[in-house]
Amino acid sequence: MTDCASCADERTAGAAFCEVCGRSLAAEPECPHCGTPGGVGEDGYCEHCGMLAGRERDHLETDCGEVAASVTDRGLRHHRNEDAMWLVTRDAEVDVVVSDGVSSSFDPDVASLTAVQAAGASIASGDVVAAIQAAQVAVAELAASGDPRRQASNPACTIVAAAVRGDAVTVGWIGDSRAYWVPDVGPAEQLTEDDSWATHVIALGADPEQAMRDPKAHAITAWLGADAGKVTPRTGEFVVGDPGHLVLCSDGLWNYLTDPAAFAAAVREGLREQGTLISAARWLADYANTAGGADNITVALIPVSPSSKE
Amino acid sequence: MTYTAEAFQNEFLALGATEVNAIVTVTSTGSASGQRTAGATEIIIVDASGSMQAEGRIAAARQAAKAAVACLDDGVHFALIAGVGTAQQLFPAPGQLAVSSAQTRAEATWAIDRLHASGGTAMGAWLLLAAQLMAQRPGDIAHAIMLTDGDNGERAGYLESVLETIAGKFAVDCRGVGTNWKVSELRKIADAMLGTVDIVARPSDLTAAFEQMMTAAMGKTSADVQLKVWTPVNATVRFVKQVEPQVADLTGKRVADGARAGRYPLGSWGAESRDYHVCVDVPPGAAGDEMLAARISLVEGDNVLTQALVRAVWTDDAALSTRINRQVAHYTGQAELAETIQAGIEARKAGDDHTATIKFGRAAQLAHESGNKATSELLATVVEIEDAATGTVRLRRKVAAADEMALDTRSTKTVRVGRGQ
Repeated sequence: MTDCASCADERTAGAAFCEVCGRSLAAEPECPHCGTPGGVGEDGYCEHCGMLAGRERDHLETDCGEVAASVTDRGLRHHRNEDAMWLVTRDAEVDVVVSDGVSSSFDPDVASLTAVQAAGASIASGDVVAAIQAAQVAVAELAASGDPRRQASNPACTIVAAAVRGDAVTVGWIGDSRAYWVPDVGPAEQLTEDDSWATHVIALGADPEQAMRDPKAHAITAWLGADAGKVTPRTGEFVVGDPGHLVLCSDGLWNYLTDPAAFAAAVREGLREQGTLISAARWLADYANTAGGADNITVALIPVSPSSKE
Repeated sequence: MTYTAEAFQNEFLALGATEVNAIVTVTSTGSASGQRTAGATEIIIVDASGSMQAEGRIAAARQAAKAAVACLDDGVHFALIAGVGTAQQLFPAPGQLAVSSAQTRAEATWAIDRLHASGGTAMGAWLLLAAQLMAQRPGDIAHAIMLTDGDNGERAGYLESVLETIAGKFAVDCRGVGTNWKVSELRKIADAMLGTVDIVARPSDLTAAFEQMMTAAMGKTSADVQLKVWTPVNATVRFVKQVEPQVADLTGKRVADGARAGRYPLGSWGAESRDYHVCVDVPPGAAGDEMLAARISLVEGDNVLTQALVRAVWTDDAALSTRINRQVAHYTGQAELAETIQAGIEARKAGDDHTATIKFGRAAQLAHESGNKATSELLATVVEIEDAATGTVRLRRKVAAADEMALDTRSTKTVRVGRGQ
């Protein structure tokens, strides 16, 4: 038996709300840092130790059972999660969007969230290009609202979006967030090509290993934001021939697995050892954190199989 | 009365760092109607010691007091004190406050004509009488003007003991006329009583000075506003300073409010904006940790008017943790400027020309860098500034006492930094 803290009414154990006054009977949250019960104030900081009790976006999961799963995590080195994700399933249809805020811009976390929400709202139509264009418009508009510092350094982000319709997959992207096709057997394929300095110079003939080691390697050459200019999203589409997994991720994961073969091996190990999609996605985020967690990590896993009709 | 508070800081700290600095700008629109939310009491204290006969000071003081009385709004309670070896109430009858009206202002003006200079200087006694009169009007916006032209004649320590008992009860703006008074003495009063100190070198400028002070006082619409600073466990407030419009260290005025918070008196407010520098030492955090280092609230009694958060976020990204916040850097420089000028004046008085030159040189450099033109001009009356950028100065052989006192009293005046990162 527990008394309601608000009106001192006795109630049966297990009830979520007080029968008399209707207030939540859940114990007041204790501070995850110092353990003070009920210590977290209205502004989210502990009234005792001052630590931020937790940011919702530090670690988020979307579990759509056997259809899809995604995880986004702050990582170990960044003070907040500037990645954002969108995952919606309707029977065999899956809409997925991953965005990574550009840290050097102002409010990059707002940019990435705006991007996935705008693209996510539009992508149900199956038109990935239109979805990314909606995100471009929404993110560009951020510079003119909110904190005036946004004008000097406008919010910016990357985007990768995919619409899965049965065995047909459409992918679109701007920046260096990636999509991979990891078949159950056989070589994996990177479906996107980074809009980055490294990719650019490698295309021009530079040594790939040397290029990736350059401090400028991750400098992106296309992004979403008011200062991005006119950028046309690049797209790819294919129909799966063999079963496998579509994987979308931010560079917080792929940077530890730059070789597509190593990437595929990690995805397969996660799927094999964990059993469920969500735990495999979590395992991949943990993999990046174990490797250093230098950036925010987002990963989405969507199994896709060929249509049964011959 | 609408208040806003905004914190300017670089919240990012390097791993292991524990010092958090922020500039908090508090702005008030004044009351909606421009009307005071509390009553107001004004007391004018005029030095009537024998020395006031010199240079026509007493005549100028009479005129200035009349001008100040003319500035009083209807309904304000007021009194006039003649400062001699004791405190004598000049108007209205002893122990009473008058209510301002055309009639009482005219009566006060006639009373001022009876003010004659003969006697000593007893600032402690003057302020004590003012405090007794103010005590009749608790909750009022309470303000006094004190004019003197000489040193306090009371026994050593008496003024200090009076200040200790009346500190925070009302505000006192101190003005010294001529150059035979001590800046340090009036600054002691102004600091304790949350007021200002300035020199009025020429008696003919007294009227303008009194009008300016009284007009500013009449613009105050809230009586007793405080800055409440909450800090987490194991954190300590290193200092709380007002840094604009002038430097005033409030650290020692802290009154505990519960286990984790303290209140610092800010005095009365009108439609104005002031900046505060808050420095807090916190326990170190891990990479990615975010701590509320201080919650700064503007309070009037139990009423929270506005709030600003000072945060600490630990990162191993040096690009973030080494960012200099312009506001913090600017006001750190302005506070150093005031201290350096006062140290230079002390050194010059002590005959240590070498130290004085170094201090004034640094001051010239700081004033130049921050665009504090007024202070640069005051410095130029005491030293020849050869190169402000490098701080190369030469002491002037002959310095007018009034110039040095003006530099001393106005060394705490600061300028604002342009906003925006």
